[in-house]
Amino acid sequence: MLKEFTKGIFKENPIFIIVLGLCPALGVSSKLINAIGMGAGVIFVLLGSNIFVSLLKNFIPDKVRIPAYVVIIASFVTLVEMVMEAYLPSLFESLGVFVPLIVVNCLILGRAEAFANKNTIKASIFDALGMGIGFTLSLMLIALFREVLGAGTVTIMAIGNFDGVIKIPGIYNAPARVFGLSAGALLVMGYLKAFFNWYSSRKRVS
Amino acid sequence: MRNILKTSGKLALICTIAAIALAFVNQMTAPKIEAYNIEKLIKALSAVSKNYSISETSTQVIDNDSETSSEFSNVNEYYVLTDNGITVGYILSVTANGYGGPMDMIIGYENNGEVIQARLLKNAETPGLGKEAEKSEYMEIFLSKGALVPIPKRKNQLPSELADAISGATITFSGVAKAIYSGSEFVKTQLTGSKK
Repeated sequence: MLKEFTKGIFKENPIFIIVLGLCPALGVSSKLINAIGMGAGVIFVLLGSNIFVSLLKNFIPDKVRIPAYVVIIASFVTLVEMVMEAYLPSLFESLGVFVPLIVVNCLILGRAEAFANKNTIKASIFDALGMGIGFTLSLMLIALFREVLGAGTVTIMAIGNFDGVIKIPGIYNAPARVFGLSAGALLVMGYLKAFFNWYSSRKRVS
Repeated sequence: MRNILKTSGKLALICTIAAIALAFVNQMTAPKIEAYNIEKLIKALSAVSKNYSISETSTQVIDNDSETSSEFSNVNEYYVLTDNGITVGYILSVTANGYGGPMDMIIGYENNGEVIQARLLKNAETPGLGKEAEKSEYMEIFLSKGALVPIPKRKNQLPSELADAISGATITFSGVAKAIYSGSEFVKTQLTGSKK
């Protein structure tokens, strides 16, 4: 069971190894707080969809499984969106546009198709948690690089008088703005993936 | 044939259950969301009113005049601002076009079309880029403009340090600027008639 959990974080990391869900990942990784928010949303929806797909795997006819998964995922996302807007309006405001984006995150459909419809509920829950946390950590890593280099700040949760923005002296006054824009997202992603490829190939040789 | 019926029946069943669950949740959350939006509107109205009193009801702007509809079709409704019973300005609710579709804006104007203050309400802009326009500092570019000083409508009309601040979200800026501009023109030509 533990293997199902840790594989999502390292061996089958959704961003750097199986390269799933890149579109929303690159879109929202301009600030650390956005990465955390998107990650939280993905973990929740992934957990819900994996549980339901695994529960219904014998009920859903094979021919229409993809539409059935899409209905389940879209319902979960809409549910999250409505509940969040009603009960956590400030969080909804900062995450608003990411929540509907989760529907088209191929990581979720990918896990439903590749894992949850073949495995038990318990394994699917661990898979969802591992994949979700792996996704969140990778996203946070990309966002950290992009925000520090591109804006010279680190944005975390605002608490009380602290507005959540840590300014890094030196970079803040002269940031490399390209990292904050779309091209920078691809650059950072590419370099990080190259680094992880180099790292794992080195480990294999030794 | 039976197989097709069974397959589609199962899919229909899943859809029905999903729809019922969503309808149920919507019924619970809709009043809360509505109340929150009204609260947000009231906050925005008082932020752009410069402490003048705001009329209780708003006037809907109806496009039956073909001449005005093209230019001011994005102006939805307006509130009258009064100071001791004298009309001193207007608050307009304007729809702007952003990167993520329409954005709702509330803009206060003096009688001469000068911007008092503006707020961006519902929008689907990108967080970190276009969404920055929700901050009150963003609107400082436009304050006290519209009468003697023209409203900047394009990025190259801004001083370079301000142009840098909006870079990466030029479409949002153009949408906001255009909405503020047409609101100002609406006040001047349609409401006060100071520019005919």
